[in-house]
Amino acid sequence: MKLLNELFSPSSWRLAWRDSKPQWRSLLLYTSSMIAGIAALVAILSFRSDVLLTVDDQSKELLGADLEMDSNQPYPEEAIAFIDSIGGSDANSIEFNSMVLFKKNGTTRLSQIRAIEGPFPIYGSIESEPADAADRYKEEKFALVEQSALNQYGVQVGDSIQIGNVTLEIGGGLISVPGEAAAFSLIGPRVYIPKSVVEDSGLLDRGSRVEYKQYFKIDSPEKVREIEEAFDPIGDKYRIRTESVEEEKEEFEEVVNNLSRFLGLIAFIAIMLGGLGVSSAVYVYIKRKSNTVATLRCLGITKEKILATFAIQISVMGLIGAVIGTGLGIFIQLYIPSLFEGLLPFEIVQSVSIPAVALGLMTGLLISLVFSLLPLVTISTISPLLTLRTVEFSPIKALSKRAKAISFSSTILILIAVVGLLTESFLVALGFTGGLIACVFLLWAMAAMLMFTIKKLRLKSFSYTVRQGMANLFRPNNQTSMLMITLGMGMLLIGTLYMSQDMLLQRIEFQTGEQMPDAVFYDIQIDQNEPFLEIVEENNAEVIQNVPLVSMRLASRKGVPVSEVRADTSLDISGWALSREYRVTYRDSLIDSETILEGEWIGEADGIGSVVPISIADQIDDDLQVEIGDTLGFNVQGVTVTTVVASIREVDFDRPQPNFFVLFPKGVLEEAPQFFASTIKTNSREQTIALQQEVTAQFPNISSIDISVALESVREFLDKMALAIQFMAFFSILTGFIVLASSIAISRKQRTRESVLLRTLGANKSQIGTIQTMEYALLGMLSGLTGLLLALLSSWALAYFYFELVFVPDFLTVSVLSILITLSAILIGWSGSRHIFNHSPLEILRLETG
Amino acid sequence: MSNSSILSVKNLSKTFTSGNKRLTVLKDITFSVEKGISCAIVGPSGSGKTTLLGLSAGLDKPTTGDVILNDQKISALKESELSVIRNEQIGFVFQSFQLIPTLTALENVMVPIELRGLAYKEVEEKAIELLDKVGLRNRITHYPTQLSGGEQQRVGLARAFIHKPDILFADEPTGNLDGDTGAQIEDLLFELNKEEGTTLIIVTHDRELAAKCNRIIELKNGAIISDTKPHVEETETIQANIAQ
Repeated sequence: MKLLNELFSPSSWRLAWRDSKPQWRSLLLYTSSMIAGIAALVAILSFRSDVLLTVDDQSKELLGADLEMDSNQPYPEEAIAFIDSIGGSDANSIEFNSMVLFKKNGTTRLSQIRAIEGPFPIYGSIESEPADAADRYKEEKFALVEQSALNQYGVQVGDSIQIGNVTLEIGGGLISVPGEAAAFSLIGPRVYIPKSVVEDSGLLDRGSRVEYKQYFKIDSPEKVREIEEAFDPIGDKYRIRTESVEEEKEEFEEVVNNLSRFLGLIAFIAIMLGGLGVSSAVYVYIKRKSNTVATLRCLGITKEKILATFAIQISVMGLIGAVIGTGLGIFIQLYIPSLFEGLLPFEIVQSVSIPAVALGLMTGLLISLVFSLLPLVTISTISPLLTLRTVEFSPIKALSKRAKAISFSSTILILIAVVGLLTESFLVALGFTGGLIACVFLLWAMAAMLMFTIKKLRLKSFSYTVRQGMANLFRPNNQTSMLMITLGMGMLLIGTLYMSQDMLLQRIEFQTGEQMPDAVFYDIQIDQNEPFLEIVEENNAEVIQNVPLVSMRLASRKGVPVSEVRADTSLDISGWALSREYRVTYRDSLIDSETILEGEWIGEADGIGSVVPISIADQIDDDLQVEIGDTLGFNVQGVTVTTVVASIREVDFDRPQPNFFVLFPKGVLEEAPQFFASTIKTNSREQTIALQQEVTAQFPNISSIDISVALESVREFLDKMALAIQFMAFFSILTGFIVLASSIAISRKQRTRESVLLRTLGANKSQIGTIQTMEYALLGMLSGLTGLLLALLSSWALAYFYFELVFVPDFLTVSVLSILITLSAILIGWSGSRHIFNHSPLEILRLETG
Repeated sequence: MSNSSILSVKNLSKTFTSGNKRLTVLKDITFSVEKGISCAIVGPSGSGKTTLLGLSAGLDKPTTGDVILNDQKISALKESELSVIRNEQIGFVFQSFQLIPTLTALENVMVPIELRGLAYKEVEEKAIELLDKVGLRNRITHYPTQLSGGEQQRVGLARAFIHKPDILFADEPTGNLDGDTGAQIEDLLFELNKEEGTTLIIVTHDRELAAKCNRIIELKNGAIISDTKPHVEETETIQANIAQ
C-alpha cells in the first residue's frame, strides 16, 4: 500500500526525473531489448488485422460465388431438380488433373484442368495476358494456361496444347484467379478451358478424382443458409458438399488466426528474450546504483520511495521502448505480405490496426516491468550502511528466498497471462511458457558448460591477447550468460527449423533409398496396362510397382449401414473415413513400406462372395473405431463385398508411391472395374521426360508425375513457409544483438578503464584491438554454439523419434551460421567500442583522482 | 641533460580548453631527476601533480615544452612509439591498484612482459618470484576481488617491477590503504626501488612519505614553489654508485 502511494506521489516522479536526467540514454538502452520483439509482434498482429479486413472486403471473391456445390459424380436427377427449383446455377465447372502436352516442343506436365461454363467467377475476374483473353476463352474455345508454365516451357500464346484427345490453342497466359493463391500452381499449372470442349472428350472416364461444381449468385446470406439447409438431405445422400461465402470466410479466418497465433508466439520468444535482457540490464543498473541508494536511505528516504522511483524510471523507459518497437512494427508490417508471396489469395490492403498497436504497447510495458520485478525488489536489500563500507555488494544474494520465490512466480504468472491473452488459450499459454522456460534453462545449462570449458581452456600456451580476450568473458557485470541465452535461442530456433525442413525432404529420399521412383503413372486403364509396360521396357526404364486400383465406398460398419452409423451421434467416428472413396489394391504379400502391427496378413481369399480378410492402415482403425475381427461392408461399384479386419498395418505414407488405407488379398477384386498405377525408375531426368512424352502421346488419359518436379514443388512450398518462420525467428537473434549492444554500452566505463590501463602498461592499439576482437568473436561463437548444439540435439531427437532417420548433422549450415553470428558479434562489439582508442592513457590517473 | 639524469622536463606547460575557456594547469616547469633516486611531487589538490606525472610518463602531450626520458624526447613521439617506451622503461603504481579483475594475481603481474610477446612459461617464474618477494606466494591464483586492498597493492608493486623499468611513477600509492598497510607498502616500494636500481617518482599528499624520498618537488597553482633534497648524502651516494 505504501509502495502504491509512493508510485503515485509527485515527489517520487520528481526524484525519478532528476535521477534519470543525466543518464536517460543509458536507461533507454536497458529497456531497448524489448524493441525487436514488440516490433515483430505488432507487425504480425497488424498483418492479421489487414488480412481479416481484406477478407471482409473481398469475401465473395474468395469463393467466386455466393454458394458452391461440389460433387465427385455428375449430379443425379434429384440434385438437378433441386438446383432447377431454385432457379438453376449461374455457372458450373468440371475440375480434374490431366496431362497437358505442349505441342510446340512435346513437353508434358500434369496440370489442373478447370472446364468452365457460364460467368465464373461471378465475383472478381480472372487476370490474364492479354487482358481480354479471360473474357473470350469460352466463346472462342481456347485455353488459358498458367503464365509461369508458359514461361517455363518456352511456349507462347498462339501455340497449342493437347489435353486427352482435345487440342486447343493457347489464347492467353493465366496470371491470377480470384480467391486462389499463386501457390496453387505448385500442385500443377492451372489450365482454364471451356466446358463444352471436355464433355465428349472421354477424359472424364477415369480412375482419379473429378469434381463437378455448381456456382450460384444469391442475394442474401439468409437465403444462402435456407438453400443449404433445404439441400442438406440431398447433399448427404449423394455426397454433394455445399460451401457458402460465410463458411469459406470462416475457414480462411481460422487459418489466418492460427498462422498469426503461431507466428505471434515466435515473436513472443523475442519479447521474452528481450525481457531477460531488460532484467539483466536493470540488475546491473541497480547494482551500480547501490551506493546512491544507500546514500538516499541515509538521507531518510524510505525504501518504498526509492523502489517507486526506480519503478517509475523503468516503466517510462519501457513505455518509450514499446513505442519505438510499435512504430517499427507498423513499418515492418508493410514487408510481411511479401513473406507470404504466392500464398495469399488477394492483395492485402494495409492500415494501422489500433488493437495491434495497443496490444504491442501494453505487452512492451508489462513485460519490461515484469522482468524488472526481481531486480527492483533487490533495492530493499541495500542497506544505508553501504555508504560506510566499500565492499563488493550483490543485491540478489542478499534477497531472501521468499522474496525471490514471490518475484519469480509473479513474473511467470504474468507471463502466462500475457501469452494467454495473445493466444486466447491459457492452456496453450501454460504449455508455451513452460516450454520456453525449459528452453531457457537448457540454454543456460549449455552456456554454463561452454563457459566452464573456456575457463579451463585458458591454456598457458595461448598468447596473452588471446587469454585476455577469453578472460574478458568473465568480466563482472558482463552479462555473458544472458547474451549466450538470448543469442543462443535465436540460433536454436533457426538451426532447428533449417535442419528439420531439410529432414522432411531427406526422409522421402532416404527411406526409399535406391528404389526411389523417378515418375508415377496413374489412371492407366486395364487394357492400356500391357502396352504401357511395353513402352516402359522399350525406354529401358524399370517398373518398381504396377498395381491395380479399385474404387469403392464403405457400405456398412460392424453390420450397420453407413447412413445409420453417421446418424448415430453417440459414436465419434470420422465422417471422412465413412464417406471417402477408398482406392484399394489387392495382392498376396506385403511390401517393405508395410508392417503388420496387429492380427495376421492373409494373402488369398475365396472369391467375392466370401467374407474377405482385409488389412487396414493403423490410422483407419481409430477413425472407424474397428478392431481385428470386426466386419466392414464395401460397395465396389454396385457390388457389395463383406470383409473382416484380419490385420492392422503401419504404412509409410511419405513414400512417393501408391499407398493404401485398405488392402485386399488376391482372389476377390480381379474382375472388378479397375485402373493401374505404376512407379517407374529411370536413368536420367531426360529419360523420365521422354517416357512421359511417349506415354502421353499414346495414351493421353494416363497422368504422370515427375517426382523431381513434385519434390521441387514441396521444397518450394516448404521454403515459403520456412521464410515466414525464419523471419520471425530472426527477431530473436536481433534481440540477442540488441542485448549485446546494450551490455557493451553498460560495460563501456569498464572497457575504457581496462584499455587505458593496458595502454599505460605498454600495450599498443593492435594488441588492445586483438583482445577486444577475441572477446566479441568468442562471445558470438559461444552464443551460436549454445543454440546450435541444442539445435543439433533437438534435430537429432526429431530425426530419431519422429522422422526415424539416421541423423546426419548439417555441419556446413552450422558452420555458416556460427561464422555469421561471430562476424555480427564482432561488428556490433566494435561499433560500440570504438571509443576505447579515443581516451588518453592519462585518464587512468584521472580515474584515480575522480 | 646531464649524464646522470633519467628524466628532464623543460619549460613544460599544459593548458586545457573547454569551449571558450582555457585552463592552464602547468606553467613553464623545468626540472631534472637523477637516475636511481626517489623523488616526491607534492602539493595541494589542483596544483597539477597528476598532470605533471602523466606528462613525464608520456601518457599525455604537453602544450609547450619537452619531456626527455632516457635521452629520448618523448613529448615528440607518436603513440605507438610511446607504448613501447612505457612497456620497456616505465613502471606504474596506482592509488586504486588498477588490477585487471578477470586475471589472477599471477596473471596480473605478468601482463607488462607478456605484452612484449613473451610466452607464459618464460614469465611465470619471474612473476612468482616477485609475488613471493611481496609476500603473496600463496595467493597467486586468487582474483583481485579475493584480495584485500593491501594485497592488491602488493600485486600492483610486483607488476610495476616485473619488467625492470628504469623509472617508476607512483600515484598516491598508499592513498587507499590504512596506516599500517600503507607503511608496509611504502617499505616494499623503497626496498624494490633500491634492489632494482629504479628511479622512483611519487605523487603524494603524504608529507611523511615524501620525506622518505631523496628529493621533494612542491607544486602550487601549476608552478614549482620548492625543490629540496632532504637526504643529500644518500643522493650523492646513489649518484656516485651510478657514475661508477
